[in-house]
Amino acid sequence: MKIQTLEDNYLITLVGPPNSGKTTLFNYLSGKNYKTVNYPGATVEYSISKIQKKFNIEASILDSPGIISLASNSPDEQVSIDALYSHPTYGIPDLVIVTVDASQISRHLLLAKQLIQSKFKVIIALTMVDLLQRKGFNVSTSVLSEELNCDVISIDGRSGNGVDELIKVAEQNLQKNRITGAEKPIPFDSNVKLEYLLDLYKEIEQIECKAISKVVDNGKQIDINGANKRLVLLNNGLDRKINKLDQTSLKIDKIMLHKVWGIVLFFLAMAITFTSIFWLAQPVMNLVDKSFGYLSYEALNILGNNWYGSFIANGIISGVGSVMIFNPQIIILFLILGLLEDTGYLARGAMLIDKPLSKIGLNGRSFVPMLSGFACAIPAMLATRTIPNRRERLLTIFIIPLMSCSARLPVYALLLAFLFPGDKEWIAGITLAGIYLLSIISSVSVAGIVNKLKNKIITDEDQSSFILELPTYRIPKVSNVLNNSYHSTKAYFKKAGPIILVLSGVIWFLTYFPDYNPKINTVNLTREQAGELQSSTRLANSYASGLGKIIQPVMSPIGMDWRVGVALISSFAAREVFVSSLALIFKVAGDESTLQSSMLHEMHKATIGNTGQSLFTTATIAGLIIFFVFALQCMSSMAVSRKETGSWRLPLLQFFIFTSTAYLFTFIVVNGLRAMGIN
Amino acid sequence: MKTAADLKYGETGIISGIDGSHPSSRRILEVGFTPGQEIELISKAVFNDPLAFSVRGTIIAVRKNEASCIKLL
Repeated sequence: MKIQTLEDNYLITLVGPPNSGKTTLFNYLSGKNYKTVNYPGATVEYSISKIQKKFNIEASILDSPGIISLASNSPDEQVSIDALYSHPTYGIPDLVIVTVDASQISRHLLLAKQLIQSKFKVIIALTMVDLLQRKGFNVSTSVLSEELNCDVISIDGRSGNGVDELIKVAEQNLQKNRITGAEKPIPFDSNVKLEYLLDLYKEIEQIECKAISKVVDNGKQIDINGANKRLVLLNNGLDRKINKLDQTSLKIDKIMLHKVWGIVLFFLAMAITFTSIFWLAQPVMNLVDKSFGYLSYEALNILGNNWYGSFIANGIISGVGSVMIFNPQIIILFLILGLLEDTGYLARGAMLIDKPLSKIGLNGRSFVPMLSGFACAIPAMLATRTIPNRRERLLTIFIIPLMSCSARLPVYALLLAFLFPGDKEWIAGITLAGIYLLSIISSVSVAGIVNKLKNKIITDEDQSSFILELPTYRIPKVSNVLNNSYHSTKAYFKKAGPIILVLSGVIWFLTYFPDYNPKINTVNLTREQAGELQSSTRLANSYASGLGKIIQPVMSPIGMDWRVGVALISSFAAREVFVSSLALIFKVAGDESTLQSSMLHEMHKATIGNTGQSLFTTATIAGLIIFFVFALQCMSSMAVSRKETGSWRLPLLQFFIFTSTAYLFTFIVVNGLRAMGIN
Repeated sequence: MKTAADLKYGETGIISGIDGSHPSSRRILEVGFTPGQEIELISKAVFNDPLAFSVRGTIIAVRKNEASCIKLL
């Protein structure tokens, strides 16, 4: 049969339990050339691709999230299952390929059986047969095929053995189904009775017993079926050996899951993850920062200092730059998480920290996202997808903005340099460590409080549960990890990029208009000074400043004025914009090497209105630091929080609660310090 | 009655049944803890919770509370 006669929009969906070799097969079929798509309105991610040309089949393959059963256990799982029945974009699958790990056959056939019972067009791709053989057993695909009434093909997703055969059978099935006509799959009742599962397992065990046989030394196979008719006997006879665990993994776990060393190694692993996100990324981040600074400078030179030049240079290029600067951190984060996951350690780390975190309403799986929050809240929120319990997942997303992300670092650096100039740098270092500690304490406390408030903030209620397979340790396949982090990073930019871009444009507009060409007295000024004066005058008359003046009454109680207000407003695009806005507002000349010192000089001179009272004092600087610790001034975090939680409720609550807490604490700190005589 | 939560480190037991009234009972069954299966306690995390069991050739970590719905012979 020629493939041309097939319709070219066949949809094959790949389904399988976690760790069944599903993704390996998908990578092989797609040639790693896939795009990640989102289920509309939800968080479940899909990868879709045309099957590689070399397989001679005109069909698309859709990789769905790993599930162990058609009965959902959480809202997110329900979404995956619904999409399997009928994907909102791609429709009902023409064929379902289920991956089944041959060495885990009794567990993995559960899903396959449920799919067959629900009248999906199923073929089974049997993986890891070599693993089973190493245990001394063999599996008959023909017996399995007969018992399950569907085609079963043994494949090796890494080497590609058997995949040609799988595709051939898939094509035959598609042909056959086209003639017999498509039948809609029957919805699966999620409230299954336990008896049903027990019966299903009994059936599966009987199939297993018929299909699996023991390999003996002389090459002949002994059919154990005849010897052990009864299931219980089989469980004690065959199963004990077939269920033998990987001995290397067991040995590694003796240390990794050790009561004392396990937790020590856990914190060590986390510390390494954290520091490498920081230190590995820093030089690249500086490079990205510099390149965008150069691009922006060049653009302004070429286009001239007019409104479109400024829009391109300050709005677009700086806007994109403020996103791109976090690129290295995000790539490194995805890489490390991918490596940890591929080796099988992530599951163990989650197990080790589950108990302490469950005390404050979180889950063992919350820890990695929280840790990622120190780099950037956006990938951290994405990482919460591994938390199956919706309530715990939402609570994790809720507290992530409190983790001290890297965008706060430039702000703290400036403020601490003001407080502890020159010879007192080591105090600044200790204070910075204290700020990080404060962010951990505050996020843990907030989680505890929100958890105590029960349904006031997070309304979702789920049975808290931690049931997680600890997969066999494996040496990660680097190319897969690299490929996956590339795709995750790309998906992240596609999602967050446009929002950040639009927002940068808006803030540029607010700081540029309406007085975009202010009249200034350029007498006795160099061209550069004139330019500086012009842009600061423009800012002083801008919409942003108008807004700043409106919020002056809000700023006064915390000892600050509208200029800090404007810097705070613009810092909502990204927190570090606070620093550049202050530089603009206080007319700091653009001399790279002395930027900070001239800025500090201007800050020391600044007074509030005509009162002669200093604007930046120990009290107000301390207040600003406290403000940055708590406030949610990151539009992109809110946008991702909206996407991840499915509504504006949680991001708005985060915004109002964290920002008002920040304001309250700033008020207390500033006025408290003043009352104590520290100005 | 003895449950999986009562197993000592390295101790094995045969599952006699699952307490169907526990909210996690379905998932416990789905991951492979079914009557007749032999399980072994492989590891305990700090504070002795969660517990990791070997079952059907793999290791599954479950909270102590959830392990208590796995009844042993």
